Amino acid sequence: MKNKDYKNIEDFLGDESFTNWVYGKNLSDTSFWENWLEKNPTKKTILNEARDITLGIKFNAQVLSDEKIDADWLKLEAKLKTKNTIPLQKEKKNYKKHLGIAASIVLIVATSLVYFNSLKITHKTKYGEILKLRLEDGSNVILNSNSKISYYKDDYRKIKLSGEAFFEVEKKKATNAKFWVTTNDLEVQVYGTSFNVNSKHQKTEVFLEEGIILLELKNGVSQKMNPGNFISYSFKEDKILHQEESMKSSLKTSWKDGTIIFEKLLLKDAIKKIEETYGLNAIFRDEKSKNKIITGVVPTTNLAICIKAIEKSVGVKITLKNKNLIINNK
Amino acid sequence: MENLSDKFIWKALKEGDLNAFSILFKSYYPKLYNYGLKISNNNVQLTEDSLQDFFIYIYEHRENLSDLENIAPYLFTSYRRFLIKILGKKTKTISTNVHELNVVDVKFNAEEILTKQESETFKNKNILKLLNNLPKRQKEAIYLKYYCELKTTEIAVIMDVNYQSAVNTIHKAIKNLREEISILQLFNI
Repeated sequence: MKNKDYKNIEDFLGDESFTNWVYGKNLSDTSFWENWLEKNPTKKTILNEARDITLGIKFNAQVLSDEKIDADWLKLEAKLKTKNTIPLQKEKKNYKKHLGIAASIVLIVATSLVYFNSLKITHKTKYGEILKLRLEDGSNVILNSNSKISYYKDDYRKIKLSGEAFFEVEKKKATNAKFWVTTNDLEVQVYGTSFNVNSKHQKTEVFLEEGIILLELKNGVSQKMNPGNFISYSFKEDKILHQEESMKSSLKTSWKDGTIIFEKLLLKDAIKKIEETYGLNAIFRDEKSKNKIITGVVPTTNLAICIKAIEKSVGVKITLKNKNLIINNK
Repeated sequence: MENLSDKFIWKALKEGDLNAFSILFKSYYPKLYNYGLKISNNNVQLTEDSLQDFFIYIYEHRENLSDLENIAPYLFTSYRRFLIKILGKKTKTISTNVHELNVVDVKFNAEEILTKQESETFKNKNILKLLNNLPKRQKEAIYLKYYCELKTTEIAVIMDVNYQSAVNTIHKAIKNLREEISILQLFNI
């Protein structure tokens, strides 16, 4: 790249090495350009012009308030509706009504492990921990147990996730910047919204609570999601495992309030959730208890209460021994 | 990546998805609002009314819209044309030079210029005056590039010129500013 001729203004503009020099980003580029300038003194003017074009003039762009934008949108929406140009929309359900349940449970908030490896930031949780994070732009990330997110400090709207997390993305209207979450299976492109991503067990499940997102599956297919939609995709199996039009929000996102909600679930499936949340291994002593039906709410950060709650609600005896949960019918 | 998202929003809009339209509105409304104020010489009422009509027009004609890779230049171009047409109708009665109306005369305000400039050249107390004194085309190019943060390829589309001439216009504007500033510095102003 550095061997090319720099003659006209556009030879400099957008050139990576040149840009690095302008922003003082790279030592070898800096010395290259200082050298170059010494060898080409007649090009000094055009070089400085190119630098000024790159740096540009900094404006303090006047921004409309969110209230004003929303108000003007509502005005427009009302006009469109009276004009009858809108196709019928599905009614949005009230997903929030189930969220009160968790109020009594105290979260144990994990200490965040932050590594500054060349400005790459990583947050990790252990089993039975939930971590609430706030990104620089005001977006919230709630990391479930045994999960990890990482991102580069100067590019914190591009997040790599393994495990499970809930995102509340702050809208960036002024710059129209987007937000990306990547897992081993897919990429989620976000436009100011709240959603849950779970990439445990070699698949990724995405649940959208509010807003709009686009999924870019690893196999190249892209898919739009609307509020209430749930999708489970595995790149390894190269297929969509499960998909639902309108799933109850609390079932997928209650963990962020420190609870798991079971709704008419077989105990063996419910226990799988407990295993992954607390990092345990379950052993059923009999077939009968495996197939008991459980409905109820258990905490994700307090194992003792969790065990007691399950024992009481389905009538089993659970003992904890060396990371093993031993389950007996009562 | 950016283009892909735009493409998908645009496609959803063409299918009549109101959710997609609201996202489109909310991301571009503030920018077009500002552009409208610049074109209409700070006429708030006219800008707001014209934007409502403009977005209704887009929605009503969504099925006829062509497929787009990138929405920004399309919206800026169409809105620019839309507003200039309205302004033309308004002033026709007093018979203004119609040709003159196809040129946008951007005027920057003092509070819009950041005092913390990255370039040493533009750390100059006269920068506002110098900017406003630039030829209109150059001023608009500067506005679109640095204020709206559009790409040069997009600016070319909006200003209806080829890429090379968009680069040249921006280059000339920066060159002019540098020259004016160095003259001022000679006289120690």
